[in-house]
Amino acid sequence: MSVTWAMNPTLPIVLPLLGAFLLQPIARVSAALARAVGPAILIACLWVLTETWLAQGGRPFAVAIGGFAAPLGIVLYVDRIALLFAAAVPTFALLFWPWAGTGQEATRESALLLLLVSSVTGLALSGDLFNIYVFYELAAVASFGLVAIHATGRAYVATIRYLLQSAFGSLLALVGIAILYTKTGTLNLAHLAQLAPSTLHDPLGLASFALMLIGFGVKGELFPVNTWVPEVYATAPARIAALLAGLVSKLAVLVVVRLLVLVFNQPEAAQLMLVLGAVGMVSGELSAWRAKDFPRMLAFSSIGQLGMVFIAFSLPGTTGVLAGLAVAFHHLVVKSGYFALAARWGGSLESLSGLGRRSKLAGAIYVLFALSLIGVPPLPGFWTKLIVLVALAQHGSLELVAMAAILVVTAIEANYLFRLAVVLYRKDKAAPAGPEARAPGLGVGLVAPLLALVLLAATIAIVPVTEGLRKVAAQTVDVASYVRTVFPPVSLPLAQKD
Amino acid sequence: MMSLSLEAILYTGAIGLVVIGALGLVLSHHLFRMLLSLAVAEAGGNLLVVLAGYRGGAIAPILGYGAPGTPMVDPIPQALVLTAIVIGVGVQALAVAVLVRVYRAYGTLDLRDLVEHMQGDIAKAAGIPRSTSTHAPGGERPLPPVPALVRHQPRGGRS
Repeated sequence: MSVTWAMNPTLPIVLPLLGAFLLQPIARVSAALARAVGPAILIACLWVLTETWLAQGGRPFAVAIGGFAAPLGIVLYVDRIALLFAAAVPTFALLFWPWAGTGQEATRESALLLLLVSSVTGLALSGDLFNIYVFYELAAVASFGLVAIHATGRAYVATIRYLLQSAFGSLLALVGIAILYTKTGTLNLAHLAQLAPSTLHDPLGLASFALMLIGFGVKGELFPVNTWVPEVYATAPARIAALLAGLVSKLAVLVVVRLLVLVFNQPEAAQLMLVLGAVGMVSGELSAWRAKDFPRMLAFSSIGQLGMVFIAFSLPGTTGVLAGLAVAFHHLVVKSGYFALAARWGGSLESLSGLGRRSKLAGAIYVLFALSLIGVPPLPGFWTKLIVLVALAQHGSLELVAMAAILVVTAIEANYLFRLAVVLYRKDKAAPAGPEARAPGLGVGLVAPLLALVLLAATIAIVPVTEGLRKVAAQTVDVASYVRTVFPPVSLPLAQKD
Repeated sequence: MMSLSLEAILYTGAIGLVVIGALGLVLSHHLFRMLLSLAVAEAGGNLLVVLAGYRGGAIAPILGYGAPGTPMVDPIPQALVLTAIVIGVGVQALAVAVLVRVYRAYGTLDLRDLVEHMQGDIAKAAGIPRSTSTHAPGGERPLPPVPALVRHQPRGGRS
């Protein structure tokens, strides 16, 4: 397979990493150059990924790093789902880039963002479990720095709690990886996929999956390990919260999905994920209903939405992955848009009273996102929920319980989202009180309208979008093709261990 | 038989370390103790990774060390554990740095007090009344006084 330099999938990982470490020295020399470097690198990454997508036409391929062949060396595996998620990373990093910032703090934030972009892209592309673990840790460290970037006391407390939880999660994942290695002697995902049916379909294999699910679930806001979410999103800058809730969580989910599809393709593993996802969804939405300020409402609602992502991905076959992808990307767009609004809507829900009357655009965008999130028919949110519900209805009793939970939760969602909509359009004679009172016209940046346009575009083009996602999903669940791509038939490296 | 029991002891020890660390994380309220518990648990996890490649009576995997054909332990987990140890040390160093900042901001490392302070600050910034705490009894309760402290530079990094 000829891979030209322009479509080398290592570049989207290496370039931001290089940029992250060179940014500080560059800033010493020229501040203007330092400001340009970050966006330039992100655009270059986006270009490389697009070029790869166009050149490959959706055929998967693998790249052995350093020329060391697959089971011993590390491979990058590039298929549709990996490219899709990898391309989302620089895109959303550009959307939430600190364009306005200047000086030392902006440089520091840019460097950390580049580090995050590099590691999270690595999560999407890597085909080796230990490599994924390292990228995951790198992403964690970058996000600790980003959360604490404003250097307030409350941000530090949130960071340290997040750090302890995240580090313990990584440790659990490491223990899971150790069990996996003890039982199979490899950490290459394709090789694991070959060996899994004979070695991993037993209680110890399931324990290994459970440990990794919890471990990688910390970033994915999975149920028992998501207590860091509300306080981090309430104390971090809204842009950072948007990236963590929208982007980083999805990439952590992608890792779990790869594991589930390739290695732990067994009903017990899927059921575990389904149950944890359902509990997370219900608890998240109930907490969102009780929340009194906009950022924390979004944080809890994002826990709930990610619960639904986990539920959807736990379903077997193409429909499950399709449902998961639909929910995940819908959430990526809507929740990022909401956090873009939250950048100006910091105060309590009451202090937002009448804001929709003063800023027509912001109010309209809020209502549009709310309608889509609840699932009102022409909007994409309706189709994502429909796909999930139909897929759930085709399976057993546990799935039916999850289906009922989704329907109940939708009612709760509608309640708290519309409650805020009513507040936004309240006729208020008194001037808005509180520190968050804004001049009319403010209250929306460029990002939220852009994402609203994306949502509307997806509404019009719902059929091609669904068909595209179905192709992605079909390729994702094709385990045989994954193995064949990493180990081309001419040189099957190791015989199956029986 | 001897090697088998040794392996069993090592496995028990490694899992025991993880359990001790997890218990420490859950049961203690002092942030520094929680960090130490994390370090203990990480040591257990790393030991488990090394054990994944352990073979009884085998030699270290160094080329030219020992007679040819002697069984060696699996070198891959050892390479992996080096990475894991380095990552662990890095994260712990970062955690200590954050702990220093936390102490400078609030003058305590007790998690219960810190969570109270943090929730209060979040509520104040958002302009909403403080929600009732899970640790406090119902009704008003004065917060423990924050010691007067030396104001540090808010963003004193390098440079």
